[in-house]
Amino acid sequence: MLKIKDLTYSYSQGATALIDISMGLPREHILAILGRSGSGKTTLLKCIGRFLTLQKGDITLDGESIYKMERKKLRHLIGIVFQQLYLFPHLTILENMCLAPVKVLKRNESSAKKEAKEMLNKLGIKNLADRYPSQISGGQAQRAAIARALIMKPQYLLLDEPTSALDLNTSKELGEWLLELKAETTFVVVTHDVLFTKNIANSGFLLSEGKLKTKGNMKHIVDILGLGDYQR
Amino acid sequence: MNISFLKSKTIILVVFFLVTACFLVQAEEKDIFTVALTGKYPPFSFYSQEGKLVGFDVDVADKIADYLDHELKIVTTEWDGILAGLLAKKYDAIVGSMAITPQRKKSVDFSLPYYESGAQLFIHKKDKGEFTNIKDLKGQSVGVGIGETYQHYLEDNYPEINVVTYKSTVDIFQDMLNRRIKGFVTDRLVGFYQIKKADTPFMATGRLLYRERIAIPILKERKALLAKINNALIAMKKKGELTEINKKWFGQESKSNRKEKKMKTAIIAEKLLQGFGITLFVAFSSIIMGFLLSIPFGVILNKRKIYPLYLVVRTFNDFIRGTPLLIQLFFIYFGAPQVGIMLTPISAAIFTLTVNASAYMAEVIRSGLMSVDPGQKLAGKALGLTNFSIFRFIVWPQAFRIALPPLMNAVVALMKDTALIAMISVGEVIRQAQSIISVTYNPMKYYFIAAIMFFIVTFPLMKIAGRIERKIKKKGFANA
Repeated sequence: MLKIKDLTYSYSQGATALIDISMGLPREHILAILGRSGSGKTTLLKCIGRFLTLQKGDITLDGESIYKMERKKLRHLIGIVFQQLYLFPHLTILENMCLAPVKVLKRNESSAKKEAKEMLNKLGIKNLADRYPSQISGGQAQRAAIARALIMKPQYLLLDEPTSALDLNTSKELGEWLLELKAETTFVVVTHDVLFTKNIANSGFLLSEGKLKTKGNMKHIVDILGLGDYQR
Repeated sequence: MNISFLKSKTIILVVFFLVTACFLVQAEEKDIFTVALTGKYPPFSFYSQEGKLVGFDVDVADKIADYLDHELKIVTTEWDGILAGLLAKKYDAIVGSMAITPQRKKSVDFSLPYYESGAQLFIHKKDKGEFTNIKDLKGQSVGVGIGETYQHYLEDNYPEINVVTYKSTVDIFQDMLNRRIKGFVTDRLVGFYQIKKADTPFMATGRLLYRERIAIPILKERKALLAKINNALIAMKKKGELTEINKKWFGQESKSNRKEKKMKTAIIAEKLLQGFGITLFVAFSSIIMGFLLSIPFGVILNKRKIYPLYLVVRTFNDFIRGTPLLIQLFFIYFGAPQVGIMLTPISAAIFTLTVNASAYMAEVIRSGLMSVDPGQKLAGKALGLTNFSIFRFIVWPQAFRIALPPLMNAVVALMKDTALIAMISVGEVIRQAQSIISVTYNPMKYYFIAAIMFFIVTFPLMKIAGRIERKIKKKGFANA
């Protein structure tokens, strides 16, 4: 279980982004962390991803603080796909996927390639293997970025606003696709898009003004929020 | 005791024998007449195409040795130290076109003069009626060799003449033909010789501006030798032998010298290729080293992580890019020896060009690094890559591809900049061309060939740069 305990974070400019957040993220297929922009969800994502220095509180995975964890171990356990994806433009999708296994996990090139191809096959996007990021569509890029993260076999995979660049149909397809993959990892979808998570997430957490407002199954969240307010 | 006594006896014998031998050898050496000259002063002393030391002075020394009934031995030495060598008894005399001056007379005796020369004004034959002496050239441009005494003489005595300095006679002749200058002043005999050699329509006009009597300096204590040499010179004059030598080197009728104007094509090609080899060697070694240096510099400039270090690199880079390469070359080549750093011309050239290349390339690399999205680093981090791996496999490949076209332009610029190293006597292609032109008097042809040689290298580089640029644009990750 990924546990967040008494987490408070303020930026140096004085704005307090997170106030006393405590929550547990079970290994439960698909979780949603919801909130409007400014609610603190991106800061929370950065904290879980260890891109910020903790000021108060802690984040643990199975009892071990992720802030004391060895780099390799942490990145093996928790993966992140950023809103802007940041695919490496000079590498093909296959090469994008092989970089971390080869350089971090020290796999040899050919076995990493084989594994990446299998992964692409499983994800149904093997046609992307030899393309460059500039040659594929937004929906394909989103999947490619998820594939790149999945190859590290993380126990949790954080997705930051995965639908922000996608039209309604493509986000729907992405949601269905994630459902097919839920056996691979626990997806933590950090988003303002309630509609997207409504039918795919097992449970959700609602952030508001840096605080955890409520948690529960998606029906509960939708009941509190309503859909309209969060729709684009 | 006995044995050691015997031993010392043998030593004494051996020493005695050696000393006698030395005396014998020395006695034989008395038959040698050792003479010094520079070997760099055509037509008085220079190396012929066959590598033989020849010239007016050489012939005079040869004749004198005949009269002395000695064997002639010629030592070539730099003009700077030629008198000091005589005073140090390294040779018997100097037959090197030395003018008699009161100052020199204080330390050595001079023979009778064996020729007279002096500063002479030369003009274009077309201006024959217009300029009859130096005073007619008021307000006109007159060429002289840089650093020659003629320059100071003209500036002191004829301030209304516009004195233009040149690096070589070839350049003076070229500007005479182009009519940029109306006349030039040089040594009368040297001028005649070069005009004849270059086959140019120039002529002497007016009397000598000042006269110089050329004689042979000898140590003051060697009065007997002085007398013998003077006798020889008198005899040579009487028999017309001096006139003959004079005719051989300066006479109108001696067409045989014309041959020198023609340099063998094979020799020209060899010189140019050799020079170009040096150009390429200097260019590419400084490009490679400069590039390697530019990577850490570019990173420092981009990151500003350690601010003092950034400041040092920033200032240094700005300084290098903001000052002329020529001054940097002179600073390293002529300046560094003052603090005990003595570099050969080639290493000074490579050093300066390396520093120069690294400064320009570091800027290119800095902007390349800057145009890589910072999110790329974040993504690398999220995948667990170390900072080094992120730089090496994610940031650098993107930065390098973006930087490649401007890097190629820097390489082309540096290639062309190597032309400047001719100024610190590196025997690269321009310098070789100049030396060929000094014999053939054909600047248009040989500078053009040199230019073509550069172009053969720079043109493909420019094409490759263009191709890479298009390729990167196609791949679509150059936001620079």
